[in-house]
Amino acid sequence: MDNNNTIKTEDFWNPEHIVEKFWNGLAEGKILARKCKECGAIEFPPHLACNECGYHETEWTELSGKGVLKSFVFTGILNARLELEDKGVKYVCGEVQLDEGPSINAIILGVSKKKGREIEPKLPLKVKPVFFDMGRYTTLFFELDED
Amino acid sequence: MVQNVKLGKNMRSVSIVGIGATPFMNLIKNDTYHGLTNGELFGHAALDAMKDAHIEPRDVQYFFHGSANPHVLNHCITPNVQVADWFGMRGKGSLSHSEGCCTGYIALEEAVFAVASGAYDIVLSGACDMGTGMPDGNTPDHMRVEMSTEILFPDLDSIFDRAYGRYLGGGPGMNHDDWINLYAHENNLTPDEIDDVLNHQSYHMRRAGALCPRAVRRTTFDEMAKEAGYDDVWEYMKSPHNPKMTQYLRTSSDSCVADGAAACIVVPTEIAHQFTDKPVEVLATGASVLDAIVPHLEKKATAEAARQVFEATGLTADDMDLLFVNDFIGSSAFLAAEEIGYLPKGEGWKYVLDGRIAYDGDKPINTNGGRTSYGHAFGASGMADVFEAVTQMRGEAGLRQVKKLPKHVFLRGFGGAQNVRATILRAGF
Repeated sequence: MDNNNTIKTEDFWNPEHIVEKFWNGLAEGKILARKCKECGAIEFPPHLACNECGYHETEWTELSGKGVLKSFVFTGILNARLELEDKGVKYVCGEVQLDEGPSINAIILGVSKKKGREIEPKLPLKVKPVFFDMGRYTTLFFELDED
Repeated sequence: MVQNVKLGKNMRSVSIVGIGATPFMNLIKNDTYHGLTNGELFGHAALDAMKDAHIEPRDVQYFFHGSANPHVLNHCITPNVQVADWFGMRGKGSLSHSEGCCTGYIALEEAVFAVASGAYDIVLSGACDMGTGMPDGNTPDHMRVEMSTEILFPDLDSIFDRAYGRYLGGGPGMNHDDWINLYAHENNLTPDEIDDVLNHQSYHMRRAGALCPRAVRRTTFDEMAKEAGYDDVWEYMKSPHNPKMTQYLRTSSDSCVADGAAACIVVPTEIAHQFTDKPVEVLATGASVLDAIVPHLEKKATAEAARQVFEATGLTADDMDLLFVNDFIGSSAFLAAEEIGYLPKGEGWKYVLDGRIAYDGDKPINTNGGRTSYGHAFGASGMADVFEAVTQMRGEAGLRQVKKLPKHVFLRGFGGAQNVRATILRAGF
């Protein structure tokens, strides 16, 4: 006889809210990722399984947000990020490799056309995180780490 | 990413025996075409494909309808249901699918699966999008108005990951120029040199488009330069008449949005000659999908899909006589050609400057003009490339016929930020 019919649905299936926890973390200045329990690769941004080796299980870890900018492009009328244009900030889009390993396409603040031309021959360059208030959520951008 | 996919052999070989396509057009601005609907466009392409295969609608057992964005562009969610009656397939099985601008290539892959499995013998697969307009409110389908930027621009973000990538922001901004930027640095090419390469590529694509009656842009850049008062077309290409839209891409390297449909009929190869004396076998399709947050995703996914299809077929890029690349990002054409080995690594740009990728060159790409000249009806673009590939393989491309009748054609599908497909066709005659 199946006695499970007395169990509340929420008691037998109650997964973590991965996406929600990630964004709540950014609001607190924390960069959360997942770490593969088999190969140790960092899954960032966090997902359920590991995309490096294809293992099913990962666990929470926290990243420094430090890394290097490896390449970048300026945007034009066709691909401008309207939410940033509206705020009048200078930015480029580029590949950031975090110190813990993963690489993502990211936004790097504070790079004007003039600055961009200066730094391009010097790539890769160190970057650090910027926890950027977008109003209803806080997102993760980067800026050059010139300290 | 894990790269361990090894394509198996289909349960039975599948061939294309019929093709049909409307022109790519601007339904909003062209008085002749204004008022045509999704059902009519798809229906004409479908019936043309059936006619080409010498069959009637009653003979077709199942169909696929592909569309990049049926909800915004046509205010419907299951267009297969809404078009079936237009070409005599009421009550038959069908399926809608939507993979952004890769839809038309996946349309072929899906149809092949349906026949290769043994489930069906005669399958229609088509794709239709009406990119220039949108429904004029809650009105019958023929009433359409120009797509507004207020609707289009915010909606474009819907192809990017809503959990993370869209709001971390870098992927959407890298979408157009990531690969050409990487290529420029890897090959020590200056911005001016890249500008020349992309302008030459657009120039040659337009030469093909000018010869293709189904292309939406048919005026050559030579004619446009002369009209604007330029004696030197290359000066015109770098002028304010052809402004930069991104860091690297000028208007001439951007896709031209259009309305249109295309379709094909596929059957088991063993019975293909019952329908045509020039069947085209679909040998295999490699597939890779990477979200826009992944750096250099187009390069990586193209390489992976190509690896799969070459491994499955035992062919190499040297066996390919013609290449189609979904180049709504203009630079994709020669970059993908290099990545799959159709052009030598690091030298593709020279082939472009020398015009060798033109329809009359020795390494032809996109003989219909590609997205920058043939036009871009989003989901339908891939199937329009299949139409052109089969037309070239049959030797029926008229003035834009490539010099060597193609035995093998490679199609690199791309879209939806981003799905990639790599399909190899073989002339079965």
